[in-house]
Amino acid sequence: MKHGRFISFLMICHLSLVALSLTAQAGETLNAVKAHGRLRCGVSEGIAGFSERDASGRWIGFDVDFCRAVAAAGLGDAEKVVFVPLKASERFPALEGGTIDLLLRNTTWTLGREAGLKVQFTGILFYDGQAFMVRKATGVKKVENLTGATVCVEKGTTHVQNLVDYFGARGMQVTPLILDSTAAIASAFFTGRCRAYTSDSSQLAAVRLLAPDGPESFEILPERISKEPLGAVVRQDDDEWFTLVRWVLFALIDAEEAGITRDNIAAVLRETHDPALRRAFGEGGSGKTLGVSGSWAARAVKAVGNYGEMFERNVGKGGALKLDRGLNRLWTQGGLLYAPPLR
Amino acid sequence: MTELQTYLTLGIFIAVILAIAFDIIDMVVAALLGVCLMMLFEILSGKEILDAMRTAGGPLSLLFGGMVVVRVLAKTGIFESLGNRFLHATRGSGKRYLLLLLLLIGPVCAFLPNATTVILVAPLIIRVARALEVDFVGPMIIAAVISNSAGLLTLVGDPATFLVGSSIGMTFGKYLRQVSLGGLLAMLVIVPLLPRLMPDIWNVRRVLSATKPVVASNRPGFVVLALGVLLLMIVLFVIGEDLPGRIVPPEVAIIAATLALLVVYGMRVEPLEDVIRDIDWKSLLFIAAIFCLVEGFVKTGLLQGLALKLSEWFGTRFTLVALTLLAGIGMLSSLLANVPVVAASLVLTKGYLVAVQAVPETALAAGFSDWPTTAVPVFIAMMFGGTLGGNATLIGASANIVSAGICAREGSRVTFGRFLRIGLPITLCQLAVSSLYILALFWLRR
Repeated sequence: MKHGRFISFLMICHLSLVALSLTAQAGETLNAVKAHGRLRCGVSEGIAGFSERDASGRWIGFDVDFCRAVAAAGLGDAEKVVFVPLKASERFPALEGGTIDLLLRNTTWTLGREAGLKVQFTGILFYDGQAFMVRKATGVKKVENLTGATVCVEKGTTHVQNLVDYFGARGMQVTPLILDSTAAIASAFFTGRCRAYTSDSSQLAAVRLLAPDGPESFEILPERISKEPLGAVVRQDDDEWFTLVRWVLFALIDAEEAGITRDNIAAVLRETHDPALRRAFGEGGSGKTLGVSGSWAARAVKAVGNYGEMFERNVGKGGALKLDRGLNRLWTQGGLLYAPPLR
Repeated sequence: MTELQTYLTLGIFIAVILAIAFDIIDMVVAALLGVCLMMLFEILSGKEILDAMRTAGGPLSLLFGGMVVVRVLAKTGIFESLGNRFLHATRGSGKRYLLLLLLLIGPVCAFLPNATTVILVAPLIIRVARALEVDFVGPMIIAAVISNSAGLLTLVGDPATFLVGSSIGMTFGKYLRQVSLGGLLAMLVIVPLLPRLMPDIWNVRRVLSATKPVVASNRPGFVVLALGVLLLMIVLFVIGEDLPGRIVPPEVAIIAATLALLVVYGMRVEPLEDVIRDIDWKSLLFIAAIFCLVEGFVKTGLLQGLALKLSEWFGTRFTLVALTLLAGIGMLSSLLANVPVVAASLVLTKGYLVAVQAVPETALAAGFSDWPTTAVPVFIAMMFGGTLGGNATLIGASANIVSAGICAREGSRVTFGRFLRIGLPITLCQLAVSSLYILALFWLRR
């Protein structure tokens, strides 16, 4: 009798749960991000302009801002981000193992990574190239002057192979000094263990700021030996999440193209007679199809500004690196930034 | 997966295991209830259930094929004949009976799927046990344990060893040189435990009466064809994957089952319904449900997410990592199907090795085989944990479940506790010996 009651109890519980059956929602990662109420973003341990802590301990930088834009679009709050500092070698295990939801760590989009590591790049966030930094006093003006030199390079990056390939293809000798982290390389380079340091030009500019004898003592050579398109990375097989992150990038670029900024977006949406602009950035936007609420694009822009604002504030004129927009200009201004329309 | 779903998954899993362990409800119902709860809480989607079924498809095909072939062979009288020989070889000694089990099952399981082997030898074990007037449950549990352990003898002996070995580019020969000895030691460690675990059988001495002549089937054509199907199945298990049109073991099992049914049908031996009815559907259903539950567990990402933790805790001290994996995977495999656990652990281990920069990031991609020799014992530890851990509990391996299913059909129910009393001590000893073997491997590679 007791046994029978227990089985009946189980059956009632079972049937109650059937009645509570929920409907299917958006992708796995977006679901988890919403449920936890926070986005876990994998960033560098500290690269000026891209991801670093300021004096108050708050994360700042270009990559950091993009994370905030995604959080604003997906969660409605740009501050609901947990930044996970990662070494270069830790970034893909962290993404694959589910420790982070989104990877933004100066990561180059390559065939090998996308096809082999079961990840997807959501677009090109920053067009970069591999360059060399030398001490001005060495008199090195071109890469070919580095024949036979020891060059510092970070382990676990695409730069190692690029370095070997570039010198090998030209019959030039080079001795790579491969070190574990940006900090270790900076230390080795500034203490003279290697004659040059090779990395993305933006990263070299960032490390140059740390030079004990001042950034003006160092020079980044003009040649770019590789294309380094940097982008946000997500796990494969989560189309909804991939699509949201990709379209946040497009929204920031489209906003710049439309002249929408963090400061004027409210006024523009209030006063514009352009229905397409209202549809793209207003309440009637495509949020539902992305699995997020209405004006997701406007939230992203309000949080970090348009692409141009994000660039200038962190790595351009307003930031310490003072990088030129270069290829990261809009297509209308001679750059490569071109986003499909938000409709 | 949300935090709540992660807790729910663990809660459901623990509840199912406890329900089985304490015999609260039937184990199939418990497992199916667990699956239903995971679906209702959206831990498992329809697609993931299908993914789990795809993973379970191989083991289930092997079991179904084995069950059909054995059921058909039973009609030939072959088991009575072999049983008589086996009984004669024991000379009435329980000790010889148990040791012969090791000799009989070990080599077979090095090449044939474990649970299928248990199904094939079960009629002999039960027949001899009855002749020796001992309980057959203990020997059936030992048969399952031996079959799981023997899977370590070769690269193809167990899906877990094959999964790990093939993912690090280990060849059959390399496996024999690096792993097989450890597998042999894990099997031999069972011997000194037998008199302690089963003194009632070990000490038995019976005077064997003259065995009655076996009444073979009066249809020699049927006997020849049925044995032909068995022979074909064994041959294809061994060489099927090397054939130009590769035939994997689950396909072999399905082919053999189909041919066996064709023989029964074509020769009008008995109605096919009778054969199909005798299949142990309950065990098959239970295994399918367990695979679904494990899919939910793996989805929590708890295992895969440990890669950075391992790097944080142990750095490049591979010995400690290997021993941790051996113990951790061994424990998990004692409660979960080992294939999904090992698959998730592979992600964890590769991620760890990339994170500590022992290998480049390309190691995360399929087909990478340039593993440093100092890291290989870490993978070998995973093989030992995944294969031997399953020996501990009733639900740790398909062979255990099948073995219990056969016992139940023969009138003796195997409870979780009864299996645990034999399986757990053996597993602990085997994992201890394996730890020493792994340490020796590291020492040799210094």
